[in-house]
Amino acid sequence: MRTLSNPTMHSANLLLGGLLLGGLCLVVLPLGSVVGSEPETPSVREITKPESLQSARQSGRNNSRMLRQRDSAGGTAAAEASGIPEANLDDFQRFVSPILNQSCLPCHGPLRSEGQLRIDALSPDLIQGADSEKWREVYNAVGNSEMPPEDEPACQLSDEDRVRIIDWISQELSKAPIAVRDKTQSSSFRRMTKYEYRNALEDLLSVSLSTTNRLPQEVASEDGFKNSSALLQMSAMQFETHRDIGLDALHRAIVLGDRPEPVRYRISMLDQIGKPPSKKKKPKDSEFFDKDDSDYDKKRRGRVLLNLETGQGIAFQEGSASPIAEPSEEKPTEEELGAVSPVVLVLPASNEVKWNLDRFLPDEGTMRVRIRVGRSNSNPQQHAALRLIFSAHTSNDANFSQVISQHDIPVIASADKPECICFDIQLQDIQRNPFRKLATTFPRRDEFLSIRNVSNAKGQDDPLCVWINDIEITAPYYESWPPKSHTDIFLPSNSYADEAVYGREVLSKFLRRAWRRSVSPAELEPFMELFSKYRPEFSSFEAAMTEVLAAGLASPEFLYITQRDASTGDPAGQQTISLIELASRLSFFLWSSIPDEELLDLAEQGSLANPSVLKEQVIRMLADPRSSRLAETFVPQWLGTDGLDSVTHITDGSLKESMREEPIAFFREVLSSNSSCLDFIHSPYVVINETLANHYRIAGVSGPEFRKVALEESAHRGGILTNAAVLAMNSDGKDSHPLKRGVWMLKRILQDPPPPPPPNVPEVDLTDPEILKMSLKDRIADHRNKPACVSCHAKIDPWGIAFENFDAMGKFRTEIQGQPIDAKSLLLNKQELDGIEGLKRFLLVHRQDQLCRSMVDKLCGYALGRPMTSADRAQVDRITLEFRKQDDRLGDLIQLIVSSNLFKSR
Amino acid sequence: MSRKNALWKRRQFLQGTGLALSLPWLETYAKTHRVESQTPRRFVSIYHPDGVGLPLKTDPAWKDWSWFPRGGERDFELTKVLDVLEPLRNDITIYSGLSHPAARTVHGHSNADQYLTGATIGGHGPYKNTVSVDQVYAMHIGEATRHASLVLSTNGGIGGPRGAQTQSFNSEGRPIPAMNKPKDVFDMLFVTSNKDAAARLARSKSALDLLIANTKALNRELSSHDQQTLQQYLDAVRDTEVKLTKAQKWIDTPFPTVDTKYLTLDAEPKEARLYFQTMYELIYLAFLSDSTRVATFQLGRENGEGPHDLLSLAVGLGPAHGLTHAVKQPDGWKNLGTYNRYQVEEFSRFLHRLKETSEPSGDGNMLDNTFAMHGSASSSFHLSRNYPILSAGGKNFGFSNGRYLKFGKGNEDNQAGAGIDTDSGWQGKVEVEELPLSQMFVTVLQRLGVETDSFGGVQGTLTGL
Repeated sequence: MRTLSNPTMHSANLLLGGLLLGGLCLVVLPLGSVVGSEPETPSVREITKPESLQSARQSGRNNSRMLRQRDSAGGTAAAEASGIPEANLDDFQRFVSPILNQSCLPCHGPLRSEGQLRIDALSPDLIQGADSEKWREVYNAVGNSEMPPEDEPACQLSDEDRVRIIDWISQELSKAPIAVRDKTQSSSFRRMTKYEYRNALEDLLSVSLSTTNRLPQEVASEDGFKNSSALLQMSAMQFETHRDIGLDALHRAIVLGDRPEPVRYRISMLDQIGKPPSKKKKPKDSEFFDKDDSDYDKKRRGRVLLNLETGQGIAFQEGSASPIAEPSEEKPTEEELGAVSPVVLVLPASNEVKWNLDRFLPDEGTMRVRIRVGRSNSNPQQHAALRLIFSAHTSNDANFSQVISQHDIPVIASADKPECICFDIQLQDIQRNPFRKLATTFPRRDEFLSIRNVSNAKGQDDPLCVWINDIEITAPYYESWPPKSHTDIFLPSNSYADEAVYGREVLSKFLRRAWRRSVSPAELEPFMELFSKYRPEFSSFEAAMTEVLAAGLASPEFLYITQRDASTGDPAGQQTISLIELASRLSFFLWSSIPDEELLDLAEQGSLANPSVLKEQVIRMLADPRSSRLAETFVPQWLGTDGLDSVTHITDGSLKESMREEPIAFFREVLSSNSSCLDFIHSPYVVINETLANHYRIAGVSGPEFRKVALEESAHRGGILTNAAVLAMNSDGKDSHPLKRGVWMLKRILQDPPPPPPPNVPEVDLTDPEILKMSLKDRIADHRNKPACVSCHAKIDPWGIAFENFDAMGKFRTEIQGQPIDAKSLLLNKQELDGIEGLKRFLLVHRQDQLCRSMVDKLCGYALGRPMTSADRAQVDRITLEFRKQDDRLGDLIQLIVSSNLFKSR
Repeated sequence: MSRKNALWKRRQFLQGTGLALSLPWLETYAKTHRVESQTPRRFVSIYHPDGVGLPLKTDPAWKDWSWFPRGGERDFELTKVLDVLEPLRNDITIYSGLSHPAARTVHGHSNADQYLTGATIGGHGPYKNTVSVDQVYAMHIGEATRHASLVLSTNGGIGGPRGAQTQSFNSEGRPIPAMNKPKDVFDMLFVTSNKDAAARLARSKSALDLLIANTKALNRELSSHDQQTLQQYLDAVRDTEVKLTKAQKWIDTPFPTVDTKYLTLDAEPKEARLYFQTMYELIYLAFLSDSTRVATFQLGRENGEGPHDLLSLAVGLGPAHGLTHAVKQPDGWKNLGTYNRYQVEEFSRFLHRLKETSEPSGDGNMLDNTFAMHGSASSSFHLSRNYPILSAGGKNFGFSNGRYLKFGKGNEDNQAGAGIDTDSGWQGKVEVEELPLSQMFVTVLQRLGVETDSFGGVQGTLTGL
């Protein structure tokens, strides 16, 4: 009987477990799952003394069947059991059919067919046959002990027989989706995802966009990937939204008319100190403090204006500013700000200062906020960063406030040599005060900008403050005029005066970048015709052309990652994509965006066919800042960390953000150092920031940026399995959730998702007094002993129970309510997992091939924008073997994938 | 299979696979062919700020000036606040025990924004709203009428976050600016053709033609499998084209002619009676001419002040918002009740107008084909619970009137929160059970013909409605 000998799961919420499984019920089993039942355990080695995780990694490598067999089996050792899964008719005939005939046939057979079901007429082939839905009903009815009916004593099933029926149906059902997936033709031809679309527009037009949020969320595939071709739909509403966003993005990039006169505020603290605070009287002398005051040291570290020369200061609450009236300068420089003022605004940790800007900020354009600021001390343990908040209070209870800066910007400079920090905010993208243009004064029209010091400084002994010298606000701000975004489209040209000629120049250049290929003169013609139609309605060439370019951005040539069918030409073309398509595939893989000029040029010249050129390009692209998107988009999809959005028990926003970031930062570290992917399972280091270090109780980490930190032996961390994000999102909000954690392990790491559960999993009835009397452990055992539950739970639970030392926040613990934690569990093959270390050790010793293959499969699926099928199996295996031979290094894996035939296939 | 069914099926399919929806859910509401041929079904919602009078039973004012009726479902007795509705008794339904759960402990002044949306907007910090129920129906109507909806308020515009001056929010949760000048409303409905819109439409049409040609050219170079993927894009462009064609049709259709002599189109809110009557008459005319089937109208704004707080002058009282603060003054309940009575009086005039007019297509009277609701997002002083809501009409699509419906539990006599006049009232613990107002919206949407089983994140209909 497959039960767990040591069930220590204490999760109170089995009901939730049922719901969770209900949600997963149509999960498709990927191919790799055939390895699910412990294939790599030739002989269970008696481990008397647990080996270190480091040496476990080495012995696991020695265990690798793939590496051992590579010479004899020509590199396809892992390809056993490949191909479309077949129905297990043998087991049906031998075991299942006799039981069914005994217990079901009397009512569901030739004599009577209750419920219009004839069990003998169902095709036992659930893959090719037509009766898999009927079998699912049988599965539910038998599994839930609804059938055979209690009042038919002759038909009763023994538990053993019941389990046999359920196991067989469950296994067969789990094969069917694989077969379906493999029969469904899949292609990498797809629409750009929402995030790719945003990146592409931003890269193409050099603008900043948040308007793409208007598009609906993408659906994730069973593997969690949002770029899966079959799921990227296009509806009329999406199409129209794409058109709107495209036109709006062009309007941001293109400027018409003269340079607009900017509104500019300049706030010098020198001016402020003598000035009355907002709408109040000039401060009295008695409100000032100075060096002679007994509590001077304390006062000067409050939120005050401080004259560094005289030592005099005054508390500061809130300021106000009016635009300055002076001719606009082309490009205000640092020097113009003048000498460092002797007066600074002292902003202590976690304090905010608010400026009333009245109602003069323009409706749109970039608002540049430049703050000249320094640190009050150079203590490396303390850090400070600035954040901007925009707000209005239009009337009693009608108010809003919103963080408008995308990232906090750290203050690095010392107070004696302050430096400027710049924020660029798109005014049309933030919540504004809708009353700002009223002629009357109620509701209030003014808008407020607050600057916040985000800092870890605390304590009495000289805590770090930031000292602000002056603030300058300019809107709309342009680096140059016309801006680069404009001149990139409307290039200087000798043919500017001839609209027909210049129009073609503009279009040809623009469409080449947008469509990622050269556009023939014939293809330009319809666009020029459109231009001729529009031109009379607009006052300028640029305004009319903007609308035409918008059509180019609404075209499938932009919105879709195309791959043309070259079957008419080169016979090899059937199999592989063209070089220009390769350039796009590569850039969408590494940058989640369109290729740049260099990559397009190399593709069009044909040099991208040269493996060393391709390799150089990968190196170049990974060094480019745009490659940060690889980790940012791949990792959350791979690990499903969007799940953090739906948990509510992490109330500290910055902790939640740090949790979200950790696996991304870890992936980046592994990639940039070209380390082994087995680091994801365990590493002697973590990649964390101060927030997470506090959470993990790791000393000596200060500051919000992520960095590699070596771990002590007893740290219980390392790798991604113990990331707080993973543990916290797989909890029920109060406590750990072993079931969720187990399912997560199987799906995301081992790529061996559990079989489909019945849709109506029996719930634990917490109103039943008999059930309430039981201990949690008994309840779980009771639940598991139901035949419908056992086969799933025995597969899932042990993986989750091994995580029991981590609570709902992902913190390490050794006891729950005074009881020591028992995180031991037995896998189906009786292999014991002893806590997280035991689990890691088991994976490293026995499952390396599976882990590596899973990594390759996931990255390939992401790179190609479609799930891997059995047709890809040999290729995936080949890459995995090479990957294993090269010590499982992540950087090498990217190169292996890009240079593979798979990556070039359509 | 109709296009709408196809969309619906596709959505169901995706749900069935256990995936999140890939189609924006709102799109499944969009347009049907049937809408155009059937007798119009209309939706109108009137919002008034500042709630109503809710004295304690022990208060002498309770008998006359409590907003909610006394008695049971059929034998209810209207107080002086609502007795103007007595002649329409069999055409109205009064509700208690409904509110939006997320707002129950948020100050009433912040809540006009969420009355028709049910969004969790909170009381401070970042602000995000969601689609309002009228706009869901407007999307369903699509281009079957010249205007998708008529959005009105006395103050006009959008107001500010948590200080809305419009009741309508689009599918992205953005406020739709309300019109407040009768002349502008009239011109939009019956006079002015929007030339810019016509030019924009023409440009869009040319662009779509180009994109279709462009797509076909690409299509020829794709594998047959990829052609199927691209087909979806092509369908999307063609759907958009159909929409444009319908919009174009309205530009080319002459406006209905309307007698304007009796309308005072320059009425201003300070002339409350005239202004109200003109605005209601415009809604009536818009419905009569089938220029739109959806309207919202917000009277004043929460936390009054300013000229629009003076609507209460019509009944000889001081600023409306002040009335809610002065309930414990002599005649306080009576004054607030008198003002509320006046609002309902204007509403009932509008209902009579609809009732007395035969449906142009011949099916009963206009009220029978209109669901008209009237309410506020607070009951007692700043208290965002037990919204005082009444509705009228809708007989021809399933509404059975002449009833007082009590929902929820534990507050059958509407005494929870009664008599409060301090802020500890609205901040107090929620001790009685109320049902989500969004359930009523689901029922209303379904009866209007929208296929949905949820609204604002709330599943299910209002049992008993």
